Formats: sequence, C-alpha cells, structure tokens
Amino acid sequence: MSTAQLISIDTIRAAVASVDDPEYPGLSIVDLGLVETCDVNERGEVTIELVPTFTGCPALNVIADDVTQAVAAVDGVTSTHVGWLLSPTWTTDRISDIGKAILAERFTVAVQIGPKASTCPRCGGPLTDESMFGPSRCRSVSRCNACVETIEVMRA
Amino acid sequence: MDDFEAFLNDGGIIEAGDDMPDEYRTAVFTFIEMHANSELMGGLTERDWIPKTPGLRHKMSVVAKTQDEIGHGHLLYMVAADMGVKTRTEMLEDLFAGQSRFHNVFHYQAETWGDQVAIAFLVDAAALASQQAVFKNCSYGPYRRILKRIISEEGFHMRLGEDRMMRIANGSQVQRDLFQGAIDRWFWPALQLFGPDSKPHDKLLRWHIKSERNEVLRDAWVQKFVPLLQSYGFSIPAPDLGFDDATQRWDVGPIDWEPLKATLAQGGPDSARRISEALHNWEQTAWVRDALDAPASPEMAASV
Repeated sequence: MSTAQLISIDTIRAAVASVDDPEYPGLSIVDLGLVETCDVNERGEVTIELVPTFTGCPALNVIADDVTQAVAAVDGVTSTHVGWLLSPTWTTDRISDIGKAILAERFTVAVQIGPKASTCPRCGGPLTDESMFGPSRCRSVSRCNACVETIEVMRA
Repeated sequence: MDDFEAFLNDGGIIEAGDDMPDEYRTAVFTFIEMHANSELMGGLTERDWIPKTPGLRHKMSVVAKTQDEIGHGHLLYMVAADMGVKTRTEMLEDLFAGQSRFHNVFHYQAETWGDQVAIAFLVDAAALASQQAVFKNCSYGPYRRILKRIISEEGFHMRLGEDRMMRIANGSQVQRDLFQGAIDRWFWPALQLFGPDSKPHDKLLRWHIKSERNEVLRDAWVQKFVPLLQSYGFSIPAPDLGFDDATQRWDVGPIDWEPLKATLAQGGPDSARRISEALHNWEQTAWVRDALDAPASPEMAASV
C-alpha cells in the first residue's frame, strides 16, 4: 500500500474528457453525455461506465478503446475497465450546453430535446422534418426553408 | 463572370438562394450529383457485405458504413436538389438509366473479404483525401457544410479500415494471400479515383470547388500507401514502380487510363450489374417510402 500512488479522480475525469466522439472531432464524449461514472481506487484500478446513444451504435468499440487508451496513459493507473450501461437511457438532454454549441457552430447539427421542435442552427428558423433516417441511429434529417439548408438533428 | 470570379477569389461563398452564373450552377450541381450517386452506390456495395462479413466486430463496422453512406447520399441529394437543376427523383432515374456518373471504384466487384479490406483501407483514403481537398476551399456554402460532417464520418471509416487491415495483415498466410490478391485488384482503381491530371484551366479549380490538382492528391496517396503496404510485406502491382533517390519519392510508372474511361461510360467490369441492382433495390423499397409518405390513420393521429 505504501508504494501505491493516489490518483485524483479529477485527473481521470480529465483523461476521459479528452476523448472525442469519433464522428464529431472536437466534441468530447463528456459533453455528449456518454459518461455516467468514473472511479479510481487506491490500487490505481479505474472503472468507467458509459451510456451509449443507441445500444447498436457501431462506434462503441472505438470509443471504449479510446477511453481505455486515454486513461491508461495517466500516471499510476494499473488497470482500466470500460463498460457500457443499458440503464440509464441516453437522451439529448444529456448533451451539455458546450456540446450543443459545438454541434451547432462547427457541424451545423441541431439537437431535438423531447417533443419540442428544434430550430435551425444557422438562422434560428423552424425546421421541417425530411426523414427520420439520417447517417446514424442518433440523427434524423430536417431542412430549414428559411435559409435553404439541409440539417441533421440529434435525437434520442 | 469576371466579377463573379473576383468575388470567389476574395473568398466569397455562394448560398443556395444566391444568384450565380448558370455555368457555375451546372458545374457544382454535376459535381455534387456525382458525389451523391457515389455515396449511394458505395452504400449498396457495403450493404451486400453485411451477411458475408466475418465476425461481429467487422459486421458492426459494415453496418455502420452502410448507414453512413446511404445517409450521406441522402444529404447530398437534398443539397443538389436545392440547386434547382434536377429533382432528387430525376437524379435517381438518371442514375438507374445509366445516364449519370458515379466513382470508378463502384464499377468493380468486391470479390472477397480481402477486397472489402482493400476498399476500406485504400479506396476510402483516396475518397477522403479528395473530399478534404474540396472542403478546404469550397465556394458553395451548403456543400461545404455537408462535407464537414461527411469528412468527420469518413475519418471514422478510416479507423475501421485500419482495424480491418491490421487484422488481416497480422493474420494467417491464407488471410495475407487474400489481401495481396485484393491489393492487386484494387491498387489501380483506387489510384484512378483521383482522376487524370487536372487540365491547366480546370474550372472546378478556378471556381474554388476543388482546391488541389488531381495529380498532386494522387501523388500524395502514392507516397503514403506504397511504402505503407510494403512495410507490411505486401507487393505493389506496378511493374515499373521505382524510387527516386534524389527526390525520395515513389513513382508508379505510366498509368493506363482506359479502365477509368470505361467506367465513365458505364462500361466497367461490374457497371451493368451494379446499376441494375441499384434499380432493383429502389423498386423493392418503394413500400417503405409509400408508408413514410402516407398520412397517419385517424387512430394513429389520435394517439400522438
């Protein structure tokens, strides 16, 4: 025990926060609301529990690998366990305000919160649904008639 | 046109509702239409491999790519349709009638899983490099913004491609032979995805759709992938391959452009089958579109 190095949980959290969503470079998985718990014990064993946007999300392996790699690089970490939780369920209100701003400004992606209609990230105009099927399970496709733009919408 | 070109040279961005010269509109539209067609044809190829893909890990990556490519096609068709040249239905009808273009690589058949690895590793890298070069300086705003998202997702595909390549390259001799066969089939089509040398006054360059000449992008791909494949012990199917000690660069020798020309006229080895399969798929999925377009029944409407 005397040789064990105590690792602050903040260091672990920072390492996890350094991992970006593989399809949104620059958007941390923390801001996307994927991180449920981070724990580290006195033996340097780290446990991270994540919540998938969708259980069938094809990026789960890649995200878990990235988290493992980032955490393993922290001084004093002896092992890392990354798990995916089936509960709670991910919803778009888990996305932080920073996350929403990054999605809107860098990727022109809107976020739908609950049944409330989302607005155009470019001009604030109302969006018209185009298709519930986007390039991934967590996104649908809308359009803004005001500024003539095709908009992806993150949804739960 | 001079004023318009001066505007573009100053970094001006054209939006969907803006005035633009007809020539510019047609050139940008044709470029986006070809990109949309390529995403759709690529997505359908990927889909064919879902049941045949070995192992759950790779199967998930194939499912992901399929959904991404079809989704990209969808977004691009919307952006293209907003230009007012053709509707989405007209674009699809032209595609299925063999009257519009899609990338050369989707005119070949993926024969083995090794081919799928080569496509994900070599072809996707070439496509990504081309798209990045367009995104860098693209004067048409709606396309530029869609490209930003497509590129982020294609970057994710590259990781899946590297994962596939590492697994097959570190596998048994049978796996390595499978991949070498795929390299032999796909090296040249992947290289030709960049197209022949850009013309001196290429209007896509002049109008800031492309930001880099085809031959520059192609050469960068050669400099990266020739040594990379060799470092894993695979050979390059170029009999005249040489390395220039003075410039420290690889040279693949003369390029036979006839196969590329054939694909542009829908005369590639697998063009006819690909196009008829795409049409068949379109007809088979009509019920889904009908169901989505149908008004909700009174019972459904009451429950919402």
